[in-house]
Amino acid sequence: MVERVYGLLAEFDSPEALTAAARKARDAGYRRLDAFTPFPVEGLARILRLPRPTISWAGLIGGFSGGGFALLMQCYTNYDFPLNVGGRPLYALSAFAVVMFELTILFSALSMIIAMLWQNGLPRLNYPLFAAKRFHLASKDRFFLCIGAEDEKYDEEQTSAFLQQAGASSVELVPQ
Amino acid sequence: MKSRRPQIDGDGGGPRLWSGLEELSNDAAFQAWVDAEYPTAAEFGPTARRQFLKLMGASFALAGLAGCEKSPFVAAFPYVDQPQSETVGLPRYYATALTFDGYAQPVIATTYSGRPTKLDGNPDHPVTKGRSDVFMQAAVLGLYDPDRAQGPTRHGEPTTWMDVTAAISTLRQDWAGDQGEGLRLLTGPTSSPTFQHQLDALRKQFPKMRVHLHEAAGEAARRTSTAAVYGQPLDMRYVLEQADVLVSFDDDFLGPGPNQVRNARSWASSRRRSSDRPGMHLHAAESVPSATGAVASSRLIADASRMARLAEALASKLGVGGATAGDLTPTEQSWVETIAKACGSARERALVTSGPLGDVGTAIWVARINETLNSAGRCLQFMQPITGPADAGTLKALVADMRVGKVHTLVIIGCNPAYTAPGGLGFAEALKQTRSTLHVGLQRDETGELCEWQLPLAHELESWSDARAVDGTASIIQPTIIPFYDVRSVHQIMAMLLGEIDPAADAAVRETWKSAFGDDFDGRWRQALHDGFVEGAAPAVSATVSSTAAPSARSAAGEGLDIVFRPDPTVWDGSFANIGWLQELPKPLTTLTWGNVIAVSPALAKRLDVVNGDHVELAIGDRNLVGPTWIMPGQAENTVAVFLGYGRSQAGRVGNQLGYDAYRIRPIDQPWLAKGSLRKTDGSETLAVTQLHHRMEGFDFVREVTAEHPTLPKADTPTSLYPPWPSSKNAWGMVIDLDLCIGCNACVAACTAENNVPVVGKEQVSVGREMHWLRIARYYTGDVETPRSFFQPVPCMHCEQAPCEMGCPVHATTHSPEGVNQMVYNRCIGTRTCSSFCPYKVRRFNFYDFRAPPDSPTHAAHNPDVTVRSRGVMEKCTYCTQRIEAAHATADKENRPLREGDVVTACQAACPTKAIVFGNINDPNSEVSRLRRDGRHYVLLEELGTRPRTTYLARWRDDDGGQG
Amino acid sequence: MSDRSADILPVRQSMGGISDQLTGIPLHFPVERRWLIAMLFASLLLLMLMVSVVVLFAEGVGIWGINIPVNWAFAIHNYVWWLGIGHAGTLISALLLLTQSEWRNSLNRFAETMTLFAVVCAGIYPVLHLGRPWYIYWMFPYPATMDVWPQFRSPLEWDIWAVLTYLTVSFAFWYTGLIPDLAAARDRATKRSWQIFFGITSLGWRGSAAHWQRWSQAYRLTAGLAVPLVVSVHSEVSLLFASGQIPGWHSTIFPPYFVLGAAFSGFAVVSIIAVSLRSWFGLYNLVTDDHLDLLGMVLLATGLMTAYGYVFEVFDALYSGDAHELQTLADRLTGAYAWTYWGAIIFNFIPLQALWWREVRRTGWALLLISIAVAIGMWLERYMILVTSLYRDFLVSSWSKFTPTFWDWSTYFGTIGLFLVPFLIAIRVIPLISIFETEELLHEEKEKTHG
Repeated sequence: MVERVYGLLAEFDSPEALTAAARKARDAGYRRLDAFTPFPVEGLARILRLPRPTISWAGLIGGFSGGGFALLMQCYTNYDFPLNVGGRPLYALSAFAVVMFELTILFSALSMIIAMLWQNGLPRLNYPLFAAKRFHLASKDRFFLCIGAEDEKYDEEQTSAFLQQAGASSVELVPQ
Repeated sequence: MKSRRPQIDGDGGGPRLWSGLEELSNDAAFQAWVDAEYPTAAEFGPTARRQFLKLMGASFALAGLAGCEKSPFVAAFPYVDQPQSETVGLPRYYATALTFDGYAQPVIATTYSGRPTKLDGNPDHPVTKGRSDVFMQAAVLGLYDPDRAQGPTRHGEPTTWMDVTAAISTLRQDWAGDQGEGLRLLTGPTSSPTFQHQLDALRKQFPKMRVHLHEAAGEAARRTSTAAVYGQPLDMRYVLEQADVLVSFDDDFLGPGPNQVRNARSWASSRRRSSDRPGMHLHAAESVPSATGAVASSRLIADASRMARLAEALASKLGVGGATAGDLTPTEQSWVETIAKACGSARERALVTSGPLGDVGTAIWVARINETLNSAGRCLQFMQPITGPADAGTLKALVADMRVGKVHTLVIIGCNPAYTAPGGLGFAEALKQTRSTLHVGLQRDETGELCEWQLPLAHELESWSDARAVDGTASIIQPTIIPFYDVRSVHQIMAMLLGEIDPAADAAVRETWKSAFGDDFDGRWRQALHDGFVEGAAPAVSATVSSTAAPSARSAAGEGLDIVFRPDPTVWDGSFANIGWLQELPKPLTTLTWGNVIAVSPALAKRLDVVNGDHVELAIGDRNLVGPTWIMPGQAENTVAVFLGYGRSQAGRVGNQLGYDAYRIRPIDQPWLAKGSLRKTDGSETLAVTQLHHRMEGFDFVREVTAEHPTLPKADTPTSLYPPWPSSKNAWGMVIDLDLCIGCNACVAACTAENNVPVVGKEQVSVGREMHWLRIARYYTGDVETPRSFFQPVPCMHCEQAPCEMGCPVHATTHSPEGVNQMVYNRCIGTRTCSSFCPYKVRRFNFYDFRAPPDSPTHAAHNPDVTVRSRGVMEKCTYCTQRIEAAHATADKENRPLREGDVVTACQAACPTKAIVFGNINDPNSEVSRLRRDGRHYVLLEELGTRPRTTYLARWRDDDGGQG
Repeated sequence: MSDRSADILPVRQSMGGISDQLTGIPLHFPVERRWLIAMLFASLLLLMLMVSVVVLFAEGVGIWGINIPVNWAFAIHNYVWWLGIGHAGTLISALLLLTQSEWRNSLNRFAETMTLFAVVCAGIYPVLHLGRPWYIYWMFPYPATMDVWPQFRSPLEWDIWAVLTYLTVSFAFWYTGLIPDLAAARDRATKRSWQIFFGITSLGWRGSAAHWQRWSQAYRLTAGLAVPLVVSVHSEVSLLFASGQIPGWHSTIFPPYFVLGAAFSGFAVVSIIAVSLRSWFGLYNLVTDDHLDLLGMVLLATGLMTAYGYVFEVFDALYSGDAHELQTLADRLTGAYAWTYWGAIIFNFIPLQALWWREVRRTGWALLLISIAVAIGMWLERYMILVTSLYRDFLVSSWSKFTPTFWDWSTYFGTIGLFLVPFLIAIRVIPLISIFETEELLHEEKEKTHG
């Protein structure tokens, strides 16, 4: 027996089975649910009541700051050392637009990806679930539902029994 | 060392340059090094490769020298203690002169820290009035030529002046023995009074000694023709200011030569139109296209041997006794009638000239016409020959005497007969039969190579001498730098022949002028040195056509093609062959560099089935040569032009093994015009030309106005989206009058000298990498048989809305408040976008490191006020920004605004016809603003809206018939 | 196209099978020998590039055939060519992702990989072609001792930003898409070394539903940015020419003309890679004939659009009536470099017409040959656009010619090595087809078939 437990990991062999089980678990009042799948499974997020992701905001902010930075940079350099370049105006916005656009994209894209990793808490190379014997199939063709030990409804026997009859092909106790 | 001599001799150059020459000899290590350093060299064919090595070698010569002994040159440099009078960085100016074919070219030499860096015409001198030509501009590089003979040698072995003196004294005993019976002096043309005095003195000592004159090119031909026509050798002066109508029979009086600057100046002054004066009309009949023909109002194309006929026809039209109209083609007929009418009405304000290189028949008819027109004495003046020495024998006579062993000592001064004598003469063989031979010259050239003694001559910029300009005005030549090689001036050597031991450099010259100046010598001497000349031109003498002068027309007998010999426009008779600037200077009309060609007419080329570069064999009598063809638009069908000055073997590393040697086939008695034949041979070569395409293709780069429509339609400048930038007080601009440009290249040479423009060599030029900041675009319109030629100098346009500046990512080229398009070399990273975007393609790029190695003497010729550009950097015309800044500094010191004429660009200063005008376009009264308001003013590629500061004045077109 | 995706993959295969098959390629490399031969060849090319670059830096750009007026040639037009090729990768994975064209899933991974290394090849040219490459950093805005800043009105300055942005974003996009597969490879890996490699590179991905949700959003949004990015980047490249007034460059058609040409050449190279990879690794079950069919269609479409560019260019010159434009047009059609123009026409558009037939599109070798022709044709086109405009620009007196030297060629072929070497390494170590996306697609298809 392990003294500290992460949770119970149930294995299903199709996305449909997984979603069904997840729905049951929610109805049964389980809250600390998480699913692990080889590819994004539609509807899962809704069932698990996951918060809507906020990546787009990061992208928006990144974009604006990138564009703004580019504009300021170009204007400042011309203000700092004004030179007559072929009779063109010092603050040639039409010309500056190009670099502005590029930096908008750059900042926006990078900030979104960084935000994604950050919110996902990645990189994190070790994770309790990796200890589970069959978990490596989560990246192949198996679909897993995990009920966390902190869940107040969590009870080792009952929960595993629940998962069994929810159609799990195997249920495994994951130590912390 | 000994073991290597054969290779070295094979490669030429002075024996003092041991290790310099090792580099040239096929030393494996050096080859490897070159391959590593210049991979493209590896791709050259054998000849190309050899020339590449030579060119590199020239700049390494000093490095080589350092190998065996410290270069006196380098040693001569740094100031340990700065002289009181000298401020480093401030130029000093010396009025002195150079000689060209014996005539003085009065110059102002600019020196920095005792180094001459730039030569310009002497503005006070009556002949040049400050103008210059390519030879004057490039002469300074000759001073620093590492291939100069740097000390006396005997049989090629270094020796000392002590030995020389000793040897001469023994020789003098021989001469004394037979009163100089066996002593001969062979000299090039000279106008030096001092030299003449010393010669007389020598004659006194050795009465039986004889002097011979050998002149490869230049006025010698004029003397022969005047002798035949007027019964006495004469110098001629065209007073073009007086002429309204000018007719030239194959006389390229605007072309290169001692008279070019004077002729160009006076032509320009009478060509320039004013309200009261229509401007001179020039009619040229010519066999080989020339500058003169290019600017002529009407041009007739006729074979060289036909000129006499045409002259006679004109003579008969003008009622000259004994002249018959003869049979003319319709074209010739109408042309002759047109100019006959013109001459008839202009009378004594009309001048007819014939080329010194033409035949005597033409000269006689021309002379008679001038007498009939009564222009002789007005538009045409005669002088006793300026250059001499007087009563000198010919080279032919000398060789005859040498053959029969009459000559035991031959002193050759300032000429190179072993190379420039007609091949048939066999001078070299004759020289072998002469016991003691001394060659006195700048270089150990082909002749020095054969002579027992080589006595190195000091360059005119480092010696005391004197000479007379084309109008006879004498100049005292003073040194602008202490000789940095172990050399002596010609007068010192003459003094040695006279028996003096180690004569002072200026003794002889002072001696001469003591007698001339009389009392108050010091004052007048100082005055003369200050002015650069002594007042007093040669008096005009009157001359009449001698009754004995028989107009033996068609004197050029024999069948076949007319072969005309011409001095080369940039290396002349070959004496300038080792000056890189001149080698790389595009020759007018062909834009050829680094070689000479056999110019043929398009029709003849079609007959022979040859294209540019194909090898043809030219035969005169039993002598022949092979050279590359050049198809010359507008050349007379059966005339072939060959150019002297190439095919040298001992010119030095720059000038050796380029082109063919035309002297080899040059006839002895008819040196300029002969009959010969041409046939195609196998083989061809790529010619290093700077302009590949010459037809204007219907564009209006060069515009024209006529008397009927004297103004161009005003094109409205395209509007700009951008607000104009504020201009500072001065806004620099340049206007170039295309009606006055004779394409002489003086501006290009001046720009090269002023702005440290590098020499890149034949291979680089032929791949299109020449570095000239200013090019003279040459176009022709009409068909290739009878084209009209145009010259258009193209410097940077300094566009107010410059596409180039917009392209640079690092602000390396921007606009100055005075509107100059600046190039910041040390900021340039070499993206070459500016050049790609430049519609005028006036930018030049350092594709390699074109700088000479640090210890090359050519650095001494650099203008210290101009950055020497490194590899990978773009460069271009700056309107001589260093001169602008200098002018600002002066004005600020005197705390006054800049005035008109404070800034004179190098090209403007050089231009003999004042076609280039530079100044402040913000000042409505400045010359340049006046011209910008002129009706002929136009902008090149105006439709692009780049708003150039460099603009043009259209050419006058007077339709006087003829063929273009 | 998404309707076709119903049968894009053979349904009769298991997800696990695909996962094993694809992760198996790096883990138990099937074609070691052929790979080594290819690698040897590629490394030789790369070596040639290194030699050329050393000589170049030692001597200067003079070793190339460039001169005045043709002072841009191989460096710039190969730069444009490579960058153009790169664009297809981004277009395939980003654009088709947004348009829900699932068939992309079998192609996007190596398409993106190709993009990365093509952009690298393009990216070195702006450095190599400098007269003083060691000062490249002057193009970046940093407080310099000279107090001077970069000049932001210059198309070259735009380019530096564009290319670096493009490189960064492509890499980020590529890697983001790769994470789940790296995780899969980690889980399949048996050797310790591979486990460590994939363990680290997969950043500990565990396929949690919450993660998937954020990941999808980030991935799609980045794709949404990548598409306009591609368009902007190659438009800027075209401004490198169009900003100058040189006849034949100074035209508003250039940006779209260049972007389409880029996509055209890019899809050609994608097809080349797709065909060769599937025969190498026997991926017929994943890169199906339907894929080739679709690729062929895209190739044909972009090709025809590029052809329109050609037509319009001619029309442009004629319509403008400008003497210099007409001169340049004449030079292109009949001048010294007419062979580049007609070469481009022939290689680009003649074999292309075969793609009208379905059978041709579905036969690997045919598509391969056509694609190779297109790659050559587009190379010729870039050459033509650059040289024929420069060698005869406005003033007749500056007309000249251009002849590439040995070093021009060695540098160019060298960059092919620079492309192949990392690409070969990539297919050696990473799953070269997106595993999870294929599985997802397969699952969806199964859904459909089960009703």
